[in-house]
This record gives sequence, C-alpha cells and structure tokens, in this order.
Amino acid sequence: MTHSLHRKGNIEDLKRDYVILAMFAAGINDKYPDSRKKLIRIGEILNQHNPINIMPEVAWNISPIITATFTDIETVKKVMKTLKEENLGVSIVISGLLSEIQNIATKVDLNLHTVHLSLGIFGKKDLLPSEKILEITTMCGHHCISSYSVEYYINLIREEKISVEEAARKLAKPCVCGIFNPSRAVQILNTLVKGIS
Amino acid sequence: MEIKADLCIGCGQCVIVCPVHAIKLKDNKAEINQDQCVECAVCYRDAECPVKAIRSKRLKWPRIIRSPFSNVITTHKVTGIPGRGTEEMKTNDVTNRYSLGEIGITIEIGRPGVGTYLRNIELFTTKLSKIGVEYEKESPVTAIIIDDKGHIKEYIKNEKVLSAIIEFKVPNSKITDVLNVIREVEKKIDTVFSVGIITRIMENGDIPIINLLSEEGFKVRKNIKANMGLGRA
Repeated sequence: MTHSLHRKGNIEDLKRDYVILAMFAAGINDKYPDSRKKLIRIGEILNQHNPINIMPEVAWNISPIITATFTDIETVKKVMKTLKEENLGVSIVISGLLSEIQNIATKVDLNLHTVHLSLGIFGKKDLLPSEKILEITTMCGHHCISSYSVEYYINLIREEKISVEEAARKLAKPCVCGIFNPSRAVQILNTLVKGIS
Repeated sequence: MEIKADLCIGCGQCVIVCPVHAIKLKDNKAEINQDQCVECAVCYRDAECPVKAIRSKRLKWPRIIRSPFSNVITTHKVTGIPGRGTEEMKTNDVTNRYSLGEIGITIEIGRPGVGTYLRNIELFTTKLSKIGVEYEKESPVTAIIIDDKGHIKEYIKNEKVLSAIIEFKVPNSKITDVLNVIREVEKKIDTVFSVGIITRIMENGDIPIINLLSEEGFKVRKNIKANMGLGRA
C-alpha cells in the first residue's frame, strides 16, 4: 500500500508527523521460526517510545506489518538508534519530510536504500474536498476517513458539543493501521473551526 | 453492505462515515446506493449504528472484487497482505525489487477518497503496455490484466472500488514515456489519481530523478517514504 506517502500539509506541520513501518519480506523474512518474535519486538520498541498512535497490539500477531506514528524527530532518531542496535533484519520505512529523514539517517549512521516520492494528485480535482480537510483524511493510508465526518465534527466543535481532542480521537477510529496523527488533527481542526479552509 | 430499512431509525451516523458518500437519508431511512458503494465496510465497523441495522452481506461475483480494493481488513489472495497494495519499496532492501537503473511507479486511481470504476485501469494499462512496462506480479491490479495489450476482464469493469494501484517498473530511459501517459490520461479520466515514483538512492545520497521530474514539469512533494536499509535476507 502506498499508505502514508500522500499525506498533505505544509512543511511546518509535516515536521511533526512521522510514520514508522516495519515489514516482513514475504517468503524471505517470514520463513524463520523467530520471525514473528522479531516483528513483535519492533512493536515493543515503537511502543516504548510513546507514539501518538500505533497499530493495535492484537494485530501484531497476524499482520506482516507493524506501524506507529510519532510527532517529533528526536524520538524517531531514538527509535531508529535502538532498531539499528538490535539488528533484527526487518525492513523499516519512515514517512516524513525528505530533509528530516536525511537528518535522521545521518545522526543514526544509516544509509537510505530506496525512496518513494509523491507527485501529488492528478485528474478531476474538483471532486475533492478542501485542502485542509484533505490534510485530515489523507492521514489514513487506506482513506477510510470521510470528508463528511470532518465537517460533522467541525460543526459539533463549533456548537461546543465535543472537544477538539475528542473529535480528533473519533476521526482516528477508522484508521486501523494506527498511522492517523491525532495531534496534527487537533491543530487542523482548530484551523477549520475558525473557518479557514 | 446493506441497511435493514425496518431497523433503521434515520440517525445518519452511517451517512457521515461513508468515505465515498454512497449513503443518503430518504424518508428518514438510510439507503445505500449499491452502484456507488465500494464495499469498504467502514459503515459496518465505525458508524456505531445504535440499532445494528448495517449488515455485511455475502457478496457474489463480480461484486466481491470490490472488497479487496476497498476494505482494509480484507487480505487479497494474490498479495497475502491486508489492503490493496504490495510490499513495493517497503522491503526493497531485502527483495531488490527495484534495482539501480530502474524506476518504480505507483498510480493509485481513485485516491484520495473519490473512488474509481475498475474500467479506468485500462486508460493507463493499454498505453503503458505499449511502452513495455513490467507490472508488479503481486499486485491485485496485475491479476486482472488479461493480455499483453493491457486489457482487463470485461465483466469487472463496472465495479467501483475505493482505489486501485497500478504498480510497475521501467528502466530509467523510459520514465519520460510514462510521464506522457500520465499527462494524457489526466485529460480524460473521470476521477482523481495519485502518483508515486520509486527509486534507489545513489551511494553519495543523491536522488537524481528529482531533477528530471522537475525538468518535465512535475513537482515532487517534500514528504516521502524512505526505506532505511535495515532489512536483510
């Protein structure tokens, strides 16, 4: 899945948004008896560094992927340092700003292997919601979050029927992979509530 | 998906959560437009229907093909992983699926959030096949291409899905041809699509394709996915 590649947002917002993904190569990494144990160990490392969101633990035992979301680069450096030291041999992908990821690689002494670049959106763009709403909905890699949901919660916040934090938590629910960043969602919702699209 | 009209109380929770806006309220009852529904099951999982009126019905062929392209929980039998994509560059440090001198391309039709009929795949694949691209063998889209001209199975063309990802690679020398296809299809397609470019990093850390894409008039976004090189066979 192209999962977290097409997240929208300005540079400053994206500096507070990192997704770390660990994945088995099918037929290669998953053929050893301790494969699952290694993937779960990565889940534990991610969890120990207080992610803002993480794939539910119940999925760690069945999924070939584990994902977690972080809000600051220094924590991501610590995670990567630990993953490098433990040398588990499982592929690790970080989504974020190219300049920030290069910074992480330099500080942790890693050689980036392959990149996936986004050229953005093409075609009938008049079918899309506003840019700010897309900043929220594109935080789910499988696009399970409806633009109507965002509008619905903006109205509830304006009517003081729900807090911004609770609305962000509700919006995160359809994202089963745990890559939705509720902290960023709070910031974006605050902007949208003020009427800036 | 279906909503039991005799149970529905018209609260509208399912209308709100549907990513493709396929559910409407009519006479205070929620109704699913079955043509527009992509079978993502978000309504079933997340609407919190107070009367449990939303049902996941047993899908028949060809409608059942909507599910792996839309429902994140469905594991496609070709890829073996949940969701509609593949490992692509995520495990490239182990698989070397994309070598130096090759460019990987992902064209996700219907993303973000608009959806697509599967017939739109052919708009790309009939042109890409002429170029001589190498389709990703593990991709659910490749599994429905039936010939070397890039046609897909006729009876699935009118099935609507949340998104479909065409994954393929070309030698560096053919990237301009691919970009021309993207320009051409953009003018005629009835939905949106998102494009990704996969490339190996040079030993000195350079990513030369960024300049080439810029010269061709394509803007590379600042946020990326990076394989950090920690995997091994």
